[in-house]
Amino acid sequence: MLKILLVDDDAEFTEVACHIIEFLGHDICTASCLQEAYEWLENNTFDHILLDFMLPDGSGLHLIDHIKKSNHDPYITLITGHPLVKGLLAGLCGPKVNYIAKPLQREDLEHALTQQSTPTPSKKSNSSLPKKHFGCLIGESAAMQEVYTMISRIALTKANVMLLGESGVGKELVAQAIHTASNSVTNNEAELVATNCGALAKDLITSELFGHEKGAFTGAISKKDGVFLRAGNGTLFLDEVTEMPRDMQPNLLRVLETNRVTPLGGTKEIEVNCRVISATNRSIEEIAQSKVLREDIYFRLAVFPINIPPLRKRKEDIPLLAAAFLGELNEEYHRTYQWNATQIQRLIDYDWPGNIREMRHAIHRAFIMAAPNGTSLALPKDFRSPFSSISEKKHSLSAGRTIEDVERELIKVTLVDVEGNKSLAAKMLGISIKTLYNRLHAYGEFEE
Amino acid sequence: MNNYQSKKQSEQPDLDQLIHDAREPLNRISMQAEMIKLVLENSMPIEKAIDAVNKIIVSCQACSQTLEQLSKVAKNQAN
Repeated sequence: MLKILLVDDDAEFTEVACHIIEFLGHDICTASCLQEAYEWLENNTFDHILLDFMLPDGSGLHLIDHIKKSNHDPYITLITGHPLVKGLLAGLCGPKVNYIAKPLQREDLEHALTQQSTPTPSKKSNSSLPKKHFGCLIGESAAMQEVYTMISRIALTKANVMLLGESGVGKELVAQAIHTASNSVTNNEAELVATNCGALAKDLITSELFGHEKGAFTGAISKKDGVFLRAGNGTLFLDEVTEMPRDMQPNLLRVLETNRVTPLGGTKEIEVNCRVISATNRSIEEIAQSKVLREDIYFRLAVFPINIPPLRKRKEDIPLLAAAFLGELNEEYHRTYQWNATQIQRLIDYDWPGNIREMRHAIHRAFIMAAPNGTSLALPKDFRSPFSSISEKKHSLSAGRTIEDVERELIKVTLVDVEGNKSLAAKMLGISIKTLYNRLHAYGEFEE
Repeated sequence: MNNYQSKKQSEQPDLDQLIHDAREPLNRISMQAEMIKLVLENSMPIEKAIDAVNKIIVSCQACSQTLEQLSKVAKNQAN
């Protein structure tokens, strides 16, 4: 039996929560504001404090500060409803502080109180780490909830999926999540086989995808199964599918249409039964315009397209991701670094053009640079990388800018690209060299 | 008086505040529903379940009112 203090100003919630917690076999006291909580703590010790975040006379964080200054060391569970607060808490809380989100259920309370009564050090530190959806995806934003819903739905079918998203958004993890969800639906242990279409030499693509018989070509000293066969009843993940040469795509189309492969040099067709998840960092518009993918193969691969949002579109997930990455590093190197609110805010303020991969890299770097005996990370003054500045330039065309402004930037970028060669720049820009000089004089920032 | 009402007197409420205020009755509804489950699963006096059901109905009305206010603010912001 635990002795619990519930601090919440909602009288109806407090009353019903008391009934439920008493039913669970614990002893409970209540306070409706910080002042009442301070009075309880003056003469009593509690094993666990359930604490509303917003109270009439202050924030729940004030009570945490008060407790830290005292000799008491109870477990604290913050009750919150605001997603951003949840994220910040996950980033800031120590091993004895966690949170539960409104609207509450009985099992939330049970879970919070059970964690308290099983004090295994590693488990305690994990309890403050963010939840991993499908065992690998982190984030509670609306955009990610939509992705989770799509993953749950697609797991019930065998339809092919195309993952669209910028570089670094976690396409391979989403593929893993779909695979995990499908396995749990079908209750089997099928395999996930991944291959990168952009990394395969043109001559080897057919062999890699469909396999080959012994002696099929020079160097084929033994029979090899292709990725379609190796995936069995599971999932085949074709990363960077739009980088596959167009003249190789009809072979893939045939397999997708017939569900049969013929290994190179083989004579018999073999049935395949895997789900194909493909991924690309090109947008649908770009795929259509640049024609990197045949239309017929696009529709076979993208039976169910999923757009994975860039990190800048789900900033509320940044504290959760930061907490998870730091937790992993702390565990690996046996450290106890923590985020502070300013650092988390800096991570939120930056746009992360390289998405989660870039942020993870920045956190790893900050972890390495942190003082070995300190408690906080050493974030760099500037997160920008050479890649991010290129990416920023790519996205600089936006509504609200003047034609003159865009023209000026285009001239500047072109000159940088041709290392200041004005004749070549004029040719690339489609203007005479005289016009280029006139523009440069007008801007007054370039010298002849 | 909920947070929205108290804030209304001094300034225009924001959507986050109203969403927070809508979650409060939802939280009560969820816990009262858990209470009903407890009553039914453990053959406790039925009056406790009826009391919980009545409180759920009141909280539904409260939530609905907050959602209406939220809708008005959202429309104002859109204009």
